[in-house]
Amino acid sequence: MAGCVIGIDIGSASSKGVVFCDQKILGSYVIPSGGNYKLTADKVREELLSRTGLSLRDIVYTVATGYSAKAVTFADDLRTDISCHSKGAFYCFPSARTVVDVGDLHSKVFRIDDKGGQLKFLLSGKCAGGSARVLKVIARVLQLKVEELGALSLKSRKRVDFNTGCAVFAESEAVGRIAEGVAKEDLLAGIHRALAAQLYSLAERVGIKEDFALVGGGARDAGLIKAMEEITNLDIFVPAEPHLTAALGAAIIAEEISNA
Amino acid sequence: MNEKNSDIFSRIESYYSDYGQRAKELKNEGKKIIGYVCSFIPLEIITAAGCVPFRMRGDIHEPITKGNINLETIACPFYRSCFDLSVKGRYDFLDGSIVAHACDSMARTYAVWKYTLDLPYSHFVNLPHTLSKSSMEFFNEELNTFRKSLGGFAGKEISDDDLAEAIGLYNENRDKVKALYELRKPDPPIISGTELTKILTVGASLPVAEANQLFDEVLEELGKRKESPLKKVRRIMIDGACVDNIELVKLIEDLGGNVVIDTLCNGTRDNLPHTDIGGDPVSALADRYLNKINCPRTYRENKEQDLHKDLESRFGDIGFYAREFKADGAILYVYKYCDPFGFEVPARKAYFDSIKLPLLYLEDEYSAGTIGQLKTRIQAFLEMLG
Amino acid sequence: MAEEKKKHKKRRTATEAAASIGPMVKEFISGTLRAKEEGRKVAFTFIVCLYDEILRAMDILPVWTENFAGICGAKRDAERFLERSESLGLSRSLCTYALCGIGFDQWREELGEMPPDAPWGGQVRPDMMLSSGQILCDPRNKWYQASQLYMPDVPVYNIDLPYPLYEDDVEFTDVRDYYVKHIIEELRGLVAFLEKQTGTKMDYDRLSETVDLGERTWNLIWETYDLRRAVPTPMGTGDAMNTMVPMCFMMGTQEAYDFFLGLNKELKEKVARKEGVVEDEKYRLLWGGGLPSWFALSDFNYFNSKGAVFPAETTYRMIESMYQIYMPDTNDPIERLAWRWFGYWVFWHNKARKRPGSHPDVEWLIQYIEDYKIDGIVMHEAFSCRTWHLGLIWQLNQLAKIYKPIPVLVLGKDGKKEKTNRELPSLVLESDIIDITTYSEVDTRNRIDAFIETLESVAKSKVH
Repeated sequence: MAGCVIGIDIGSASSKGVVFCDQKILGSYVIPSGGNYKLTADKVREELLSRTGLSLRDIVYTVATGYSAKAVTFADDLRTDISCHSKGAFYCFPSARTVVDVGDLHSKVFRIDDKGGQLKFLLSGKCAGGSARVLKVIARVLQLKVEELGALSLKSRKRVDFNTGCAVFAESEAVGRIAEGVAKEDLLAGIHRALAAQLYSLAERVGIKEDFALVGGGARDAGLIKAMEEITNLDIFVPAEPHLTAALGAAIIAEEISNA
Repeated sequence: MNEKNSDIFSRIESYYSDYGQRAKELKNEGKKIIGYVCSFIPLEIITAAGCVPFRMRGDIHEPITKGNINLETIACPFYRSCFDLSVKGRYDFLDGSIVAHACDSMARTYAVWKYTLDLPYSHFVNLPHTLSKSSMEFFNEELNTFRKSLGGFAGKEISDDDLAEAIGLYNENRDKVKALYELRKPDPPIISGTELTKILTVGASLPVAEANQLFDEVLEELGKRKESPLKKVRRIMIDGACVDNIELVKLIEDLGGNVVIDTLCNGTRDNLPHTDIGGDPVSALADRYLNKINCPRTYRENKEQDLHKDLESRFGDIGFYAREFKADGAILYVYKYCDPFGFEVPARKAYFDSIKLPLLYLEDEYSAGTIGQLKTRIQAFLEMLG
Repeated sequence: MAEEKKKHKKRRTATEAAASIGPMVKEFISGTLRAKEEGRKVAFTFIVCLYDEILRAMDILPVWTENFAGICGAKRDAERFLERSESLGLSRSLCTYALCGIGFDQWREELGEMPPDAPWGGQVRPDMMLSSGQILCDPRNKWYQASQLYMPDVPVYNIDLPYPLYEDDVEFTDVRDYYVKHIIEELRGLVAFLEKQTGTKMDYDRLSETVDLGERTWNLIWETYDLRRAVPTPMGTGDAMNTMVPMCFMMGTQEAYDFFLGLNKELKEKVARKEGVVEDEKYRLLWGGGLPSWFALSDFNYFNSKGAVFPAETTYRMIESMYQIYMPDTNDPIERLAWRWFGYWVFWHNKARKRPGSHPDVEWLIQYIEDYKIDGIVMHEAFSCRTWHLGLIWQLNQLAKIYKPIPVLVLGKDGKKEKTNRELPSLVLESDIIDITTYSEVDTRNRIDAFIETLESVAKSKVH
């Protein structure tokens, strides 16, 4: 074995790490980012090693990415999360050409080529509109866990017209709708639809080419995936652990570098 | 009140909700349908060419998606909605579209519109910003260029007689709209703002002769209304650009106000000014469109350096209509990113102040999603009017 | 000058000429303040409105209001003026140059003196305001009218300066006569207005000399910027955002001519020494549209730190030398100005007609991509300005559709490698001209990093 590599993604909400050996995932770990990114990064590496039974000597290269990649002082190299998501998504789905990352702070769309190289990318606006943040806001309003939203949304029979994608306005609009007596699932379906419309519109701006993959933390939400399928009229490819895509991509890049 | 079920109102309802159905039929009959969005398009020339002008609408319930591929989100939200619907195929029956130099959102995206929709015909009408003598002459020439270009597409040389006939039809149309507006003068009005918005919106989707016929039928039917179906409540004016979905008007009326008058594009701004007859038809059209349509995009010179005279020359029509229709309060409704109206908000506010008409200023996006926010503010305004 | 340095570290420029701009701009502003005290006429003006030479010939001092707003932005001191405009009822979604200017003017009028700590002494109260919205800028059509609410005694003169848009069935030569005639009339109207305001007649001999000087400067700029074709390029867009100052604010003055003479010499020397903006030039980028974020010009240096340079931009750029622009035989300086204007705006029409699916705006990009050996395009979408920023995405999309200069190998349907061509990579930055609240440095640099990674990835897949 040539040695193992680590890909680590310090996001604005959660931090993820992947250990990658010989083009395979050996282990992964996710924790909330908290306020001290440097400590968080150390903790992720520690956990990865203990979970895989590897020691520091086994790790030949580490690539960091994400909002606070610079806090990963032990990284050998940094890459943008855009490159990492592209690589990670391509690893999971070699046929993917359009990738949408539903992040906590931003959503991003990228077009990739048949080698996983990125061709084009776009980010959602500066505010959190069009990102997974709106799901957190709504979960709080409905007093649900974010993980519970998807399943509930799928039960909707009468989706409400929910037009705002703005995380701030979403809260007041949701409160208003609940006061009108709208069912939680119908409200959720409306929010998923509004978010899907924003993501779709972002993707249209780079020009959608099939296959279409959805990654990032927000892609764990079944309600959002269904809404995306409806609005794009496409099959949406989602990795088993979509939140790990950037960390995985970072690990793949680390391996490429260490093999070069 | 059996007129609610009457044939004419159900036809209007159907034309309103399935907007463009008549244009589709005419298209199948071989007519050429020419789309436009703004009051500055000289409809008389389109009609004189034997084509059917069709006013494109936005849809506040439809989230903008495909329109984003080629059009920036900083464009006028109303115009973006029209573009988005066109890209999605809602106006597939169009043979052409005409854009005027009304505002940056239109002028700066002419290529976007032209290349993306790729219709058989498109043309840009270059409207001057000023009312100088030279501007009028220039606009005259520009209208002749359009006349020649559209004639080329329609396979017809547009004669002065064709133009005179079309001008006659449109003047007739404006008389009928005037008659409809007269029904808003009684207190309570004979016709609600919601109804009138629908009627005028539908009228702009039909050939002018058919619109005239429709308005006649509406007027006849309304003539049978012996008493108003409305309550005697506060009388509201709306000032702004194009409000082509009934939701805002309906919201005000649901909250207990009667919308009795407007200075909106798809209201008095576009529908009331006549074209002079008897002289050169193109000069008369140039005068109507550049001079008589009072839109903030046209610069009206402040000749005497006098604030009050300037406000009166720019906004006098607001005061005129407010008095004529006895408005108790006004709502200035401006879309986000609208430069022509946006820069006038302080001056318009000053004018409303000077005529002592209470004002609510709303800046909005073109989306049903904001209705909740509007509701609270309109409700408070109506309560304030008492 | 000490006080301007204490707030911000000065941005490193590649050329000495660009570094000399700061004091020059400061001198304009103090110049207008002095002129006002001396009783000279000052006029509020917008750049590229064709009246530069007319004003210079009549000794009217222009106050470039967009420039003042830009300075407030660059000094990161625009927010209080923007907020003031907002409190007057002007939406933050409108042109922030105008909001900054109106906010400042209203404040000055209210106080009867300059607002506290006004940037560089502040913007002077004008004797007149000269508008022109052209076919591109509603704020310019409305701004001074809006300012007049706070200084009703200051007259506004608005001129119409149209040009034809690109059509399939109408050539610009079909409409040229009446366009030019109208522009001439509008300029004559302006001269009459200025004569009335100043009480002096226009000296047409002097105007002819000024127009001559303007045209010579125009040609010199074109020639000078053309030197940037060299590899490595001696000057980037970051510097050009400084050297736009004499181009846009001083046309028709000897100072502007001399400035570009100096820049020309400097660039020639750099080219001879093969001295580039960066030591190891890896990527040559085109600034393909949009005004820059004046408070974040150091982003250009960030690009440079990654080996990326901008040999060309379409923002603040003479299209071609005057020799290439059609000019009939006339000695009337007003007519020459009108023909220059018309020729400038229709310059790419004929080229566009020759390439299927093309458009003048796209043709301009293609010309520069080829002339300057460009590897990628960067644009900036300033949220408050529709004028320069609507249509940019479409231009990129249309360009990608009709112009694919990068040969690559891709996996064909039968599993064999096939040669094909790919479009140039592009990056769209999103922020504003002066509204700093729209800007995130982390986010912008993240995008730049990702774009550099894209360029690397494309360079690797390129077949030679």
